Amino acid sequence: MNLLLATAQAHTVMPIDGYVYPNEQNFLWSVLIVVYPYVTGLVAGAFIMASLVRVFKVKALEPAYRLALLTALAFLICAPLPLLLHLGHPERCLEVMMTPHFTSPMAMFGFVYAWYIMAVLLLELWFDYRRDLVMWSQQVKGPRGLLYGLMTVGVDDLSPRALRLDEKMCDAITIIGVPSAFLLHGYVGFIFGSVKANPWWGNVLMPVIFIFSAIVSGMALCVALYYFINWVRRQAVNDECVDEMGMFLFYALLVDASVEGLDWLHRLYSAEESIYILKQLAAGKLFYSLLIGQVLLGTLLPLLMLGSTQLFRRQIPMWIRRRFYLVSSLLIVCGVLAMRWNVVIGGQLFSKSLRGFTTYKMELHGQEGWPIAAALMILPFIILYVLMKLFLRPDQPTHEQVHGHQAAPAAGG
Amino acid sequence: MSRFRMPPQILRLVLLTLVIISSYFVLRMFLKPESFGEFGHYRGAALAERAALEPVFAGAKACAECHTEVIEVQDKHEHRRISCESCHGPARAHAQNPDVKTTAFAETRCLRCHAQEPARPITQKQIVATDHYEGKCLECHLPHNPKESPP
Amino acid sequence: MNPPITRRQLLGGLGGMCGWLMAQPVAQAAKQVVQKVLVSTLAPKGYDPFRHKWLMCFDIDRCIGCGLCVDACKTENHVPEATTYFRNWIERYIIRKPKAGSGEARGEVLVDSPNGGRDGFPPSLVPREEILKSFFVPKLCNLCEHSPCVQVCPVGATFDAPDGAVLVDPNYCIGCGFCIQACPYGCRFLSPETKVAEKCTLCYHRITRGLQPACVEVCPTQARIFGDLQNPIENDPIQEFFRKNKVNVLKPDLGTGPRVSYANMDKEVR
Repeated sequence: MNLLLATAQAHTVMPIDGYVYPNEQNFLWSVLIVVYPYVTGLVAGAFIMASLVRVFKVKALEPAYRLALLTALAFLICAPLPLLLHLGHPERCLEVMMTPHFTSPMAMFGFVYAWYIMAVLLLELWFDYRRDLVMWSQQVKGPRGLLYGLMTVGVDDLSPRALRLDEKMCDAITIIGVPSAFLLHGYVGFIFGSVKANPWWGNVLMPVIFIFSAIVSGMALCVALYYFINWVRRQAVNDECVDEMGMFLFYALLVDASVEGLDWLHRLYSAEESIYILKQLAAGKLFYSLLIGQVLLGTLLPLLMLGSTQLFRRQIPMWIRRRFYLVSSLLIVCGVLAMRWNVVIGGQLFSKSLRGFTTYKMELHGQEGWPIAAALMILPFIILYVLMKLFLRPDQPTHEQVHGHQAAPAAGG
Repeated sequence: MSRFRMPPQILRLVLLTLVIISSYFVLRMFLKPESFGEFGHYRGAALAERAALEPVFAGAKACAECHTEVIEVQDKHEHRRISCESCHGPARAHAQNPDVKTTAFAETRCLRCHAQEPARPITQKQIVATDHYEGKCLECHLPHNPKESPP
Repeated sequence: MNPPITRRQLLGGLGGMCGWLMAQPVAQAAKQVVQKVLVSTLAPKGYDPFRHKWLMCFDIDRCIGCGLCVDACKTENHVPEATTYFRNWIERYIIRKPKAGSGEARGEVLVDSPNGGRDGFPPSLVPREEILKSFFVPKLCNLCEHSPCVQVCPVGATFDAPDGAVLVDPNYCIGCGFCIQACPYGCRFLSPETKVAEKCTLCYHRITRGLQPACVEVCPTQARIFGDLQNPIENDPIQEFFRKNKVNVLKPDLGTGPRVSYANMDKEVR
């Protein structure tokens, strides 16, 4: 008690930018919640990338189609982990499914997630891979062959009619999948955008911003992975494919940057009560992660590089273009991570009394420490590696490559 | 194609979907708490559980059951509307077993309300403690009857 | 190939499954009706949450910032001792005189709440002659009409009790913290001990026993006005409060509809 009194005595009256509600001194959502929207965003983006092939028939992107789908799956498997780990009572997580409170955007997580992984991603992969699975299960011996066999669910019909149906189903699922991907990530944006108590979050544009930044980050990741895998396999990248990916990346980034710019324009112009503290936040505590990381390095520089490849495609030699695509995709992947950081952490750095700031120091130990967050960022790549070992083997020809088909050869050589 | 035959892959998927959906409902039957939804979208039993917690403060009525003469005095003077436990601390344990004493009354308690502070309403009687026999309140004031001095 | 499934078998199976699924809600509803008739879970005996509507209001002009309410709350509800967890707290506002010649009506606003005001307030660093005005504002859960915290709880662990309290079910809360983010008033925290959200319960275990909330019990100046809107007593303080005062609420623009009202509140309070 004396100690308490002593600390109270030492406490001085702070100036106007120094008051936070007492309970706000406990920092609540940490780096794990930064990872969560980032990971789901990559899922949504990678899926959109894949659907460009299916729905919009962008033939040049076909070498990256299966890679994009598997990337989406690897990240989607990891998406609930950061959420689960940050809960105070992870053992009660099933309550979200058993007694979902439908007025809560968070309650929809279980359903949106289940829908997306089972009704969209796994289904599309299954229909796309079915004929290969049937073929591989007959060719490959050992546990791997057994796994392929199990995955066929006992359907070994490879008649032209069945194959035609597979194709049709894939197209249909992709068409459902695009709005589903928007739903998956728009909903993550809505979790933040619906918090009217927090002027940094509570914003109609939030879901839209999240969707576009998700598309951008997922595409950029696919580009980077495509380069990386071809480098590992000592193959040359398909120039037509990267040019095409670069184009889509540029336009997606352009839309993303405009929407975020519009958000700021609106905030600054309408200048509500909260604008003073938000300006202080952006120019102060978030200077490096927002203005330098997100805006300058993550948006403007890639826009410049990708834009130049679009405007002066003939003048810029291919080897420079290739490097431009790679560098800007890496910059974008980091820039979107910075954006998630700015939203999640930034939104908690100022008091809802609009009179002061708290600070956030990343922990090393415990449930919410940065090593766990880093592990959660690496885990999808490990899963992706396993998936590729199973389903993207250069030494294992696909059904199309063996029997020939109306479609062009699929990914993986 | 006169008769419709469901393609085998679709049939398997439909069955799988039905299995998943029905297992969700089975699981839900077991995992949904008994009293959930009794009054609204929450566990109805939570109300009773909250209400069953043990209080720590007894409330002025409990004090009046024994200490009638003190309260009679206090009722006639300025501090009449102040609850016993404001100054003497939580007393439920004491009310249930008189052998358990309440927290000792300390003279810093007076200053909690009567130290000078610009944010206090002017109707509140305030002193600058250092100019006013700090720590010796009880030498001149009876807390139950603050205008009177002790005999 | 697998043994072929005939259409009859398939339809039969599907029909059976559908029937079983449809029967579920009916069985559930029946179970609930039986439960309601046979088992009454209301405790303590005789307290019916549907026959009360509790409310607390504040008269800022009466608050002397003694901090007894904060201390009593911590004791009564076993709130974590650390200086960053509070179910209620007191803020001190100090509004400086405007700088001479600035043409402004009021100067800088300073707010503080050392240890939530639990130990009272240390003398302010602003000299008395520089203060235009100063006052205390007690804070707690605003008992919103449209509680954003209840709206966002994904599992139904926080809820509007029928009697006006907004409660957390500590045995059901998953500790996601969404309600804490959604509360515009900073009234909630994640307990470091139980890892669930915690907040003012209006001392639910006291009001159901006919006692007053601990903070109201110990308030020496009747700055906290507490009452039951459904059962007004003679000279009911809360009815009188609304009759005699011009009242306001915190952050009305958010549409949360706080039921907790403040008399004599200045515009700087938020």
